[in-house]
Amino acid sequence: MIKVPTNILLVDDEEDFVEMLALRLEEMGENVVKAYGGQQCLDFLDQESIDVVILDIKMPSMDGIQVLKAIKSRHPLVEVILLTGHGTTETAIKGMKLGAYDYLQKPADFEDLTNKLAGASKKKEDQDERIRQAEARELLRRGGNI
Amino acid sequence: MKKKETFSEKRRDIRLLLVDDEADFRNTLAKRMQKRGLNVLQANGGEECLSLLAEDPVDVVVMDVKMPGMSGIDALHHIRAMDIETEVILLTGHAATQDGIEGIKSGAFDYLSKPVRFEHLLGKITQAHNKIIADRQEKETAEYKVRIQQQMIATERLAALGTLAAGVAHEINNPLAIINEAAGYLSQLLKKEALAQIPHKESFDKALLKIENSVKRARNITHQLLGTVRKSNALLVEVDLPELGSEIINLFHKEIKDRKIEVVQNEKRIKPIWTDPDQLRQVLINLVGNAIHAISDQGCITIQTESTAEGATISVSDTGTGIPKERLEKIFEPFFSTKPPGEGTGLGLFVTREIIEKLGGSISVDSDIGHGSRFTVRIPSRHPEMQDTNLVE
Repeated sequence: MIKVPTNILLVDDEEDFVEMLALRLEEMGENVVKAYGGQQCLDFLDQESIDVVILDIKMPSMDGIQVLKAIKSRHPLVEVILLTGHGTTETAIKGMKLGAYDYLQKPADFEDLTNKLAGASKKKEDQDERIRQAEARELLRRGGNI
Repeated sequence: MKKKETFSEKRRDIRLLLVDDEADFRNTLAKRMQKRGLNVLQANGGEECLSLLAEDPVDVVVMDVKMPGMSGIDALHHIRAMDIETEVILLTGHAATQDGIEGIKSGAFDYLSKPVRFEHLLGKITQAHNKIIADRQEKETAEYKVRIQQQMIATERLAALGTLAAGVAHEINNPLAIINEAAGYLSQLLKKEALAQIPHKESFDKALLKIENSVKRARNITHQLLGTVRKSNALLVEVDLPELGSEIINLFHKEIKDRKIEVVQNEKRIKPIWTDPDQLRQVLINLVGNAIHAISDQGCITIQTESTAEGATISVSDTGTGIPKERLEKIFEPFFSTKPPGEGTGLGLFVTREIIEKLGGSISVDSDIGHGSRFTVRIPSRHPEMQDTNLVE
């Protein structure tokens, strides 16, 4: 089976970290877009087609929860995986209640991350598929009325 | 009558030494003082007074100024030089106020001229005794303040260290994450076809594996350190200690089976306590884990819970190697570990004690080399953050 690359948006203010993780994910066959702040993240979401956002919520420059809320309100179908530092696990769980798929603590185990990516990606795919089928049914319904 | 009794009771505390070469005067006075409830000793002169005081100091000395041999003033100097709490009342000759004033300058509490009115003297003795009590209390308060201040400095220093440690741990997680990803990336590249035949490939793989394992170790340390500086968002519920104990034993089910360890739990039902179950779970995981580690092969772990007046205790005992007496103090220190490097972080008991103290409790250990150890944890029935709440049970 050919692997369909997931379109991933990486958001973290640590450039070295973003660069390394992006290289690893691309090595695994994914498409990775890199962002270093909340605003950049939202801009990319508007411009590119993204499936999963990996979002660091302990960035000092912005409120991770606010960014998450913005993502979920403007792009509700995009799945979000949160990356936290130790002191922000409570925030991460709060984020999950606001719609994030799951969270990981840094430094994250790569296998854990890829497993969660696969899960988030599948969730989006399944929803996208349901929407396609609903649209198809709607077309048929309309077609039948002519 | 009640009033008289109260005065007598107070005076029973007063130890008095009468110093006068006139034996009759002294004895009569002593008898009257004893009737009023004081403990009275007698001396016939300065030297005897000093040797009596050297053996067992009294509260108040009533001393005649004019005595053969050592004068009252000289004796007074010696008494003050002894640096004891004793107060001295001088009895001077009629109209010999000079002696009295000199006495006060030399450290006497006061003076009275002979002939002395008994009630007057008794009053002065009581005053002198009250001064001693007041001085003593002041000294105790001052010493207490010094101790508290020292404790506060130590606590602040610990808190500062804790915060510093947490800050450092937090900061270190960032470069750790980068090392993690970079090393992982190199590992991935090495798996590619193009690199399958490069020289020294095995060394590359080996070294990278060491990097990855070391990152995991470092991560455990920072996570444990950060675990001790938790914000007080404790979830407080009623906890059934025996049930919690069983839960943790189940967690270690596999290790217990593999090492053929027997587990004994006392079946007592105890009153539930209001505390943070997650924190207690962490404590029990540490203690039970240590107990399992202490037993190399075949042994017994006993978990006992008891209700106490203040709350409850849970103890974890093992029949393992035991801990030598010299080590018992050290085991709670951070980074002290008996495990080989790489296994465990040495922070377990340190963090455990921090957690227990935050829960308002305490932990202690008994151990016998060759026979095993027992860790006892005391938890109050109410978490410290609940002190002011009234709970309807």
